[in-house]
Amino acid sequence: MAHPFFANSGKLSILAGAQSGVSEEDARILRGLRSGIEDAYEELIERYEQQIFGMVYRLLGNQSDASDVVQEVFLKVFRGVSTFREQSSLRTWIYRIAVNEANNHRRWFVRHCKLEVPLEETRPEHPNSIEYTPDPGRSPFEQAMDSETRTLIERALTQINPVFRTAVVLRDVQNLSYEEIAEILQVSLGTVKSRILRGREALRRELTQRPDQGFAEAIA
Amino acid sequence: MTCWSVNRRSTDYVDGRLRGAEKARVEAHLRGCTRCDMRLQDHGSVRSSLQELPKVKSPLSQRTRLRVIASQERKLILEADGSRLRLLWNDWKFRFQQMMRPFTIPATGGLCSSLVLFGALAFTIGNTTRGAAYEVPVMYASQIDANLVPMELRSSIVLTLSLDGNGRIMDYAFRNGSRAVQGDTTTLQHHDIAVPEIPGVMALAQPVSSDIQISVTPMIFIR
Repeated sequence: MAHPFFANSGKLSILAGAQSGVSEEDARILRGLRSGIEDAYEELIERYEQQIFGMVYRLLGNQSDASDVVQEVFLKVFRGVSTFREQSSLRTWIYRIAVNEANNHRRWFVRHCKLEVPLEETRPEHPNSIEYTPDPGRSPFEQAMDSETRTLIERALTQINPVFRTAVVLRDVQNLSYEEIAEILQVSLGTVKSRILRGREALRRELTQRPDQGFAEAIA
Repeated sequence: MTCWSVNRRSTDYVDGRLRGAEKARVEAHLRGCTRCDMRLQDHGSVRSSLQELPKVKSPLSQRTRLRVIASQERKLILEADGSRLRLLWNDWKFRFQQMMRPFTIPATGGLCSSLVLFGALAFTIGNTTRGAAYEVPVMYASQIDANLVPMELRSSIVLTLSLDGNGRIMDYAFRNGSRAVQGDTTTLQHHDIAVPEIPGVMALAQPVSSDIQISVTPMIFIR
């Protein structure tokens, strides 16, 4: 017999999804979370853990910090699910919590730990300490080149203004739409476009060092 | 179209969101403006480089930790049994615990050290009776005569003095056999009592009020 969590995705949830900002799938997960159904928790973790970790890692540039933030994010999601008003999609809500948590963490880090020297260096100077999903279609030489480029880009990403970095990461790394980014950051579409433009421009300058030098020349 | 107008549309252009006439006008400008063309190409390269960044794998232990958190949260929900009030209570309890977490270790340390300090000093607080034998010359004489012979009386007088924090005598009482007399400093002279200066009593480095008992062996001088 099917579990009620899976069996209940019927007419009512479709209506609920149509009237609010959440899809039918989101509504089903939310219902499961509110009822304390184990599968709903598992599905939420399965669906969002990697995405959120990837984004937070790109925003903070540190694996252990990102891992701590991800735990805080999920704790807040589990805690806040009863008060979530479903005016936005589940994904944008979780992303919004993650962006806010990452910003809080970064501010806390700047205030308290800026002058500390870590014993184990995992900052972007050693980006290889993080594990990446390998691309089997690339030769060892191509992988080495990829690694060099990746190091350059990741380093540049950590150098630009966090406001622009967030917009660029959400758009170009996470592939979210402008509308979703506007909802996550709680800003207008125009502001989103402006932040993405300024973020890309800052990255270009950071990578080329000279505004007149081309990006392709810089990473060649 | 000016460079400024192209710059305004560059995000949409790079992301492929421009359509029709607007896209054609931007492209026409780019054909004639190397600077804008180069910048937009770079923006496109930045975008594709970011898109090609490999997916970051989360640590293996993270999934386990998230499952533990999920399990704890589920337990709370199941315990609440649909009661919104109980959920709210749990939520506020959690918030309070989160808020207090940074203070827990310093507060515990402070509490322990204050208890130790208080315990060490507790012995100096309160009424402590200390006995001491002093040769205090307490005398009132109306006549001085070298031919007087001292004679010790059998009965003793117990004089109790109440001192304030500064060592000043506030009032006194003395018992002479069956006779008890009470009074204040103004009547000391009347009862023929002269008392030398008595140092104030200190507790925790602060002067405190205290009672002092002086046992006097009265002597008389006879001719």
